[in-house]
Amino acid sequence: MILISEMAIQRERRWKLLFFLLTLAALIFAITLMKNVFISFLLAFVTYYVLAPIVDFLERKGLSRQWSTTLPFLVLTGVGIITAQIFFPILADQITSLRDNIPRYIDASTKFLINFESQASSMIATIYPIDLKGGLEPKIMSMVQNLFQSLPDYVSQSLTVFFLTPFIAYFMLLDGRDFVRKVLSLVPNNFFELVLNMNHQINAQMGGFVRARILESLLVGGIIWLGLFILGFPYALILAVFAGIINIIPYLGPFIGAVPALIINFANGGDITVFWWLLVIYALAQVIDLALIVPFVVAKIVNLHPVTVVLVVILGSHLLGILGMIISIPLFSVLKVSAVSIYKHVIDFRG
Amino acid sequence: MVNFIWDNLFRGKDGTRPLREQLRKNILFQDLNFQQLYLLENIVNVRHYRPGEAVFKQGEVGVGMYIILSGSVSITVEEIELNTTSSRSTHITHLKSGDFFGELALVENEGRRSATAFAHEESVLIGFFKPDLFEIIERNPSAGVKILLRLGEVLGTRLRQTTARISELKKESKQ
Repeated sequence: MILISEMAIQRERRWKLLFFLLTLAALIFAITLMKNVFISFLLAFVTYYVLAPIVDFLERKGLSRQWSTTLPFLVLTGVGIITAQIFFPILADQITSLRDNIPRYIDASTKFLINFESQASSMIATIYPIDLKGGLEPKIMSMVQNLFQSLPDYVSQSLTVFFLTPFIAYFMLLDGRDFVRKVLSLVPNNFFELVLNMNHQINAQMGGFVRARILESLLVGGIIWLGLFILGFPYALILAVFAGIINIIPYLGPFIGAVPALIINFANGGDITVFWWLLVIYALAQVIDLALIVPFVVAKIVNLHPVTVVLVVILGSHLLGILGMIISIPLFSVLKVSAVSIYKHVIDFRG
Repeated sequence: MVNFIWDNLFRGKDGTRPLREQLRKNILFQDLNFQQLYLLENIVNVRHYRPGEAVFKQGEVGVGMYIILSGSVSITVEEIELNTTSSRSTHITHLKSGDFFGELALVENEGRRSATAFAHEESVLIGFFKPDLFEIIERNPSAGVKILLRLGEVLGTRLRQTTARISELKKESKQ
């Protein structure tokens, strides 16, 4: 037997590890370099995790990987076109109407703030003088004006993302596993089992988390749409879509989601019965979410203590703002899985 | 010479054919049909080892099994002597092309390797790990069941052999 010295093997492993890490860093850097590509990749990952169980299911039924991947995209395109034809006119009407009514809603919000300001000033003016109207009104007006002025830019950027996302997601589903296998083949032998297992655990956790979040958003949006529709409240669809999307922000999302409906109600005369019904609808959506989805789905997937979750979200908001709040929980759970795996493999060596 | 040319003409540069052949010959995968073998071939990991390089070490968390595609592997157990606290390495077995080892890790949850395996010469091993088994179960459950049944058979045989050996040793110690 010709033995190669331990030092030579170690040196070869170190170079392999360095090459693997550099490849990984180059891939991440290339993706994050272009803003639209980065967003497209993020959304493609979400699409990948949502569609992967369907693709696997079709493959189990005997379809080739190619057809198992193509079929959901064809169905989604068809459903998308039909949905767009039904809902886009409603959504466009609601957006146009909302844009026309925005000055009225801002005016109503300002009146509400003045009211609040005068009441608050009468109580604590001597300690801390409040000027909500003077401070907030110009800011809100300029924010809304900017939003509608920069809408064409958003639309053109969104179109890039809109076409790039399914393209990337399709190839992730079709060839993603082979690509990951090729990247993993660069890992040196002594870390291979560890990295392969970590990749599997992270993938399973991220997939579960993304699917649970999507389910939450759909559930919250669906309940709110149904409630507002039964109540006969204006802009039911757009408010439900907004509440569903904003719900992905932990803790703050549910409150922000309810604000537009409350402002619209206030601007429309502030009917107290409607106000209470709105609170009931938004609270019911959150109660169902918190009672069913969070404890039975999200908590089991991320396997984090509630206190840890709160601290992680606060840390995320400090570091990256709203984006930090959204990605902090999955990011922390990935770090936790990686740290535990590395500890067990490298440090806790029982011998 | 004729065989040599024939082999190289049809084998292909990546050695795809011997990989499939080796998988088909293995007891765990012998029930798989052509399509399932093709899926497996694209899932397993082919790893290259230097002479003397460790495949895995005793005490590490095991994730899966290895089949020797070419070369050979030695299995040793490290024993710590309590009086001197120094370790002694005991050679257990020498495995050759077609043999497999480490299959217990496929069913254990974070089980530790009970021995050290190192390449005896330049060796190519096929790694089949827990995530690969899960992927097969997800994508082709019929193939997954076939592999798991064979895995159960292998582990059962090993258990029976171990029990018989323990009985023998007990008898010997009484005599």
